[in-house]
Amino acid sequence: MQAQDKRPPVYRSASGIELKASYGPEDVPEEHTRVLGSAPGQPPFHRGGFPQGYRTKPWRIFQLSGFGKPEDENERIKFLLRNGETGFLMEHDRNTADHLYNVDHPDVVARKEDVGLTGAVMQSVRETALCLADLPIESTFGHAGGAVVQHAPFALAAYWTVAKRRGIPLAQLFGTGQSDFFLTYLGCVTKQQVPTAPGLRLNADIIEFCAEHLPKWVPVSIAGYNGGDTGLNAWQELGAVMANAIEYLDEVKRRGRMDMTVAAQRVGGVNFRTTMEIFEDAAKLRAARKMWHKLLTERYGITDERALRMRIHIVTSGAYMQYQQPFNNIVRGTLMALTAVLGGTQSLGVSGYDEAISIPSEHAHQMSVRIQQILEHETNIPAVTDPLGGSYYVESLTAELERRAWEFVDQLLAQGGFLATLDSGWLHARARENQESQAIAEARGERKIVGVNCFQEDITPWEVDGFPPVTDAYPVALERLHAVRRERHETAATAAMRELAATCRDQSRNIMPVMMQAVDAEVTIGEIGDIFRQAWGDWQTPKLV
Amino acid sequence: MSSTRNESNAASSAVPAAADPARRVLLAKTALDGHWRGISVVARALRDGGFQVILGGMSTGTEIVRAAIDEDVDLVGLNVGGHVEVAERIIGELRAARADLPIFAGGIIAPWAAKRLKALGVEVFPPGSQLGDIVDCARRLTGGNSDKTG
Repeated sequence: MQAQDKRPPVYRSASGIELKASYGPEDVPEEHTRVLGSAPGQPPFHRGGFPQGYRTKPWRIFQLSGFGKPEDENERIKFLLRNGETGFLMEHDRNTADHLYNVDHPDVVARKEDVGLTGAVMQSVRETALCLADLPIESTFGHAGGAVVQHAPFALAAYWTVAKRRGIPLAQLFGTGQSDFFLTYLGCVTKQQVPTAPGLRLNADIIEFCAEHLPKWVPVSIAGYNGGDTGLNAWQELGAVMANAIEYLDEVKRRGRMDMTVAAQRVGGVNFRTTMEIFEDAAKLRAARKMWHKLLTERYGITDERALRMRIHIVTSGAYMQYQQPFNNIVRGTLMALTAVLGGTQSLGVSGYDEAISIPSEHAHQMSVRIQQILEHETNIPAVTDPLGGSYYVESLTAELERRAWEFVDQLLAQGGFLATLDSGWLHARARENQESQAIAEARGERKIVGVNCFQEDITPWEVDGFPPVTDAYPVALERLHAVRRERHETAATAAMRELAATCRDQSRNIMPVMMQAVDAEVTIGEIGDIFRQAWGDWQTPKLV
Repeated sequence: MSSTRNESNAASSAVPAAADPARRVLLAKTALDGHWRGISVVARALRDGGFQVILGGMSTGTEIVRAAIDEDVDLVGLNVGGHVEVAERIIGELRAARADLPIFAGGIIAPWAAKRLKALGVEVFPPGSQLGDIVDCARRLTGGNSDKTG
């Protein structure tokens, strides 16, 4: 017997845009029709920033990685590079790094088995050096970690110090930071962290420091993914990312020390997520590029095309990966990766098929790379830029997403800006609304998830156990903490800490030179955290649940 | 049939019971991991199901035991985001303090870890669990538990 079809009478995209049964030229709004004739590489860049697209530069295969001791992470990064990723990410242990605690902090000790679960423990530059051992950072694009705002200055300084010690001139070093507000102020809210205002100061300091000393380094990277997976829909993600960029550029402008064109270019490498909503998310990338062009030209008067081209990194949604029948996630990863590539991403990380169970096993990690390689080499997709361009449906979605996203930007600005809506919890409330409506739709079977609320029979011959946690990260890290305290030049460390404390209190000084000094003197993240907390106190976490 | 199952799930969460003073549930996170989406959605379902939800946040075993006693809860829900050993330790501390207090768990829990928790008598709800099942389990675990002495 057929189960009764529970489909609602109106079809909507995941973000709520009503979908027609088919689209024609009349569905593309007038304003958007005028730009349909532009080619990739031409303003307003919705078709892509680069005319030759993947012909000249395939997207970077860029997988999040790391766990355990720095040596363990080093091994996994090498595994991924060997298997074909073309850039690496070094994730830091979240118990320590996210909170700026050393492993002897009571809150970490209470959960010592969790240390190293999702990233390697790096409490000082010594451990960072172990993580980067034998990695050719002078010729490989590396993400230094520092996804978390308060952790980024340390993570960057440590990576750059390792480079310096190897004789690599910082002016030649390329790679990226992140310092993302969405991550710990919206999505994965730490127990304590610096308030948003000093966080903004840190990010602007990083932007300025890089402009002067590391012109090839991407200083910060706004990560819409973290908003999306927390519950923001496609146009909320777009709007919030633009509003976040406005915070950075307005701050740089207020300081009056930096060329705005350079600043705009530096902030234009951002991240979004793709989900199973294939066409909406491909359109989201197109809308993002168009919005970036408009934002920079109209609000900041930027004319340099190099700055006007947004560069996008995509991570496929982890929230869309399912616990039941995990091999189905290989299909999901492929579809979400395809979405990113059709949307013209410059860089891509595919969530592992064991995402709902653990951090990726080697096999799941390899599969994420293979998915990208199959897309790149077997589908002929790279031959044509913006293949969806001209599709009535996709152009209609692009225009509608942009329209809604600008309205959302206005709503954020009316409340004092992106950071103000984090402080007040307004953005969290928007995320919560969507979390709940999505959960209710799943519970009612309105949103079907194969293997989860339908088609549940599973004859997979073996259980996917995920990646087993390491067991020695904590004791080794504790020993290393004691060793660094015992062996470092205490005078230099104390002096650096004093300087850091003074710099925190003096907004006119850039934090990075003294952070480099502190890292070089082997000051630990726990000590840095104590100095930050002493100077700035804790963010007042808004209501989440 | 999954459609029938979904209908009953929809029914059990669509009729909010009046808040019953006997049904208080503490939800706490065992890991130093601030993801709040899972707890948020479960808290909403439990509230809709007539429970009073007390949020413990990221808590150590000591803090969870303290909250469970101070708040005089009928049920503890652990959101397990990290190593199962941390959860096992907390379960041990809870049972030492209040042997009668039922515990259930959810979160990112690998099958091998779920088996260990189930062996301790803790029901486990990994990702993809139906909210209706979670609420039904909470009701079952707190059913007839009106004696708050001891």
